[in-house]
Amino acid sequence: MAWFKKRSLLTFTVLILLVYASMRLTEFDLSKFKDFRNMIDFLSGWFPVDWSLLPDMLRDSLDTLAMAFLGSFLGLLIALPISFIAARNTSPYRSLFHFMRVALSFIRSIPEIVFGLVLLTALGLGPFPAVLAIMFHNIGVLGKLISELIEAADEGPQEAMKAVGAKNWFAFLFSVLPQIWPNVLSHYFYRFEVAIRTSLILGFIGGGGIGQRLFNDFKTFNYSSVSLDVLLIMLMVIAVDFYGSYVRSKVI
Amino acid sequence: MLKAENLSVIYPGSDKPALSNVDLSFEQGEFVCVLGQSGAGKSTLIRCMNGLQKATEGEMFWDGSPLSKIDDKQLRTVRKETGMIFQHFNLVPRLSVFQNVLTGLFGSRNNFRNAFGLFSDEEKEMARQVIGNVGLENEIGRRVENLSGGQKQRVGIARALLQQPKVFLGDEPVASLDPGTAAHIFNLLQEIHFSHNLLTIINVHDVNLAKHYATRVLALKEGKVIFDGKPEEFTDEYYHLTYNSAQKKQQFSVVSKR
Ligand SMILES: Nc1ncnc2c1ncn2[C@@H]1O[C@H](COP(=O)(O)OP(=O)(O)OP(=O)(O)O)[C@@H](O)[C@H]1O
Ligand SMILES: [Mg+2]
Repeated sequence: MAWFKKRSLLTFTVLILLVYASMRLTEFDLSKFKDFRNMIDFLSGWFPVDWSLLPDMLRDSLDTLAMAFLGSFLGLLIALPISFIAARNTSPYRSLFHFMRVALSFIRSIPEIVFGLVLLTALGLGPFPAVLAIMFHNIGVLGKLISELIEAADEGPQEAMKAVGAKNWFAFLFSVLPQIWPNVLSHYFYRFEVAIRTSLILGFIGGGGIGQRLFNDFKTFNYSSVSLDVLLIMLMVIAVDFYGSYVRSKVI
Repeated sequence: MLKAENLSVIYPGSDKPALSNVDLSFEQGEFVCVLGQSGAGKSTLIRCMNGLQKATEGEMFWDGSPLSKIDDKQLRTVRKETGMIFQHFNLVPRLSVFQNVLTGLFGSRNNFRNAFGLFSDEEKEMARQVIGNVGLENEIGRRVENLSGGQKQRVGIARALLQQPKVFLGDEPVASLDPGTAAHIFNLLQEIHFSHNLLTIINVHDVNLAKHYATRVLALKEGKVIFDGKPEEFTDEYYHLTYNSAQKKQQFSVVSKR
């Protein structure tokens, strides 16, 4: 066993034990697929697809798209200035930098669904609380990602802008933004895509959009509509992904 | 114009000073080349001259203003009147030649107009003129990442020129260029120097370039000035003093005895 040290053998054993323990905890049981027919019966209920509600569904998809876009975009707008404060090299004060980093990871540690539950209770059902939930979470995520991009940016141009006599904050902003812009966009579009999935979950708890419709169709055994809901969701995610790649290829 | 008085710089976390007790003074019209081994303190000295680096002890005076005592606004005025070019050019990526050169005006305008790129026709015309001066009129709309090294340094020079500086600083501006291009850049710097009656101070590694273009040569070693005089006075003896460490000399003499 020339390739393996004792240590890796130990790691391997621990890994096996972890997998086993997790299977016990999650009641992992492949024999449940014995009743495979049930699954097929269930899925066959999805077809033929019921197109009659398509206009309403499109309307709800648009709501979802708007929720995801607005939430992630507002998140980006707020995260951008914050990330300059949360980056080691551009933060005006050391203490502010540490505070911002902690604040951002605190926001990130709260799942969107928790934000959603709190806000939906406080503000009433509908898409608006869902937008806010997505926004808050994205401030945390994008703030961290962008501040890391700022820290990795080339210092040369910043120095040149200072040498020209620009104010420090302006020198940072002007020399760093063009450098990180393509990566900011690519992070943003990924977060937009994630926000679509999140807004579905938020729909389940009353946030509106195609997510809420999917949930309702499911609960009322309306499977021929469920299939169309799922199809629309997939199309939406793919469309955003494609549009994101297109924009990035234009910007780089 | 520029005056260093007992200037010392010790970087945090290091016990050896990067510059120690340097006394120097420079006048308008001088073309100074600074020589020295890697780590001798050349960059540190240059960066002290426009306050990018603060003195640990002593003072740098810019036309009489003590750089460690003046406020931010005055320091920015000093920087505005001091053009600087860099080894790695330090251009803002993703912007065109024209846009990069216009950033040279940032020190003299308000940030709102800077941020939105609101430049007057007169300012744009000035930018076109300096771009013509460095011979880049045909590249004016190109993005700077796609230029050659020599062209990038010309953009750097044009940006500094647009500041209408009194002092021109260069931190190894030709160290990443091939010898032919380096000579072109030096010709350009010399031409600008004399036509604008500047004080030009430039770090170089190449002693021949220094001797050919400078009106005054400085040599630094371990943070101290070991030569300050006319280029023709910088003899082989000083050359060895500048570039060979004492240890190497000893080893050399041991070998030669055998
Ligand atoms: N930011 C810094 N922090 C700590 N030490 C530094 C820093 N910058 C430079 N030094 C040290 O100060 C000394 C002088 O450095 P400096 O960059 O001025 O030398 P140089 O002559 O420009 O060298 P080179 O030819 O390699 O550019 C060196 O010993 C270097 O290690
Ligand atoms: Mg240097």
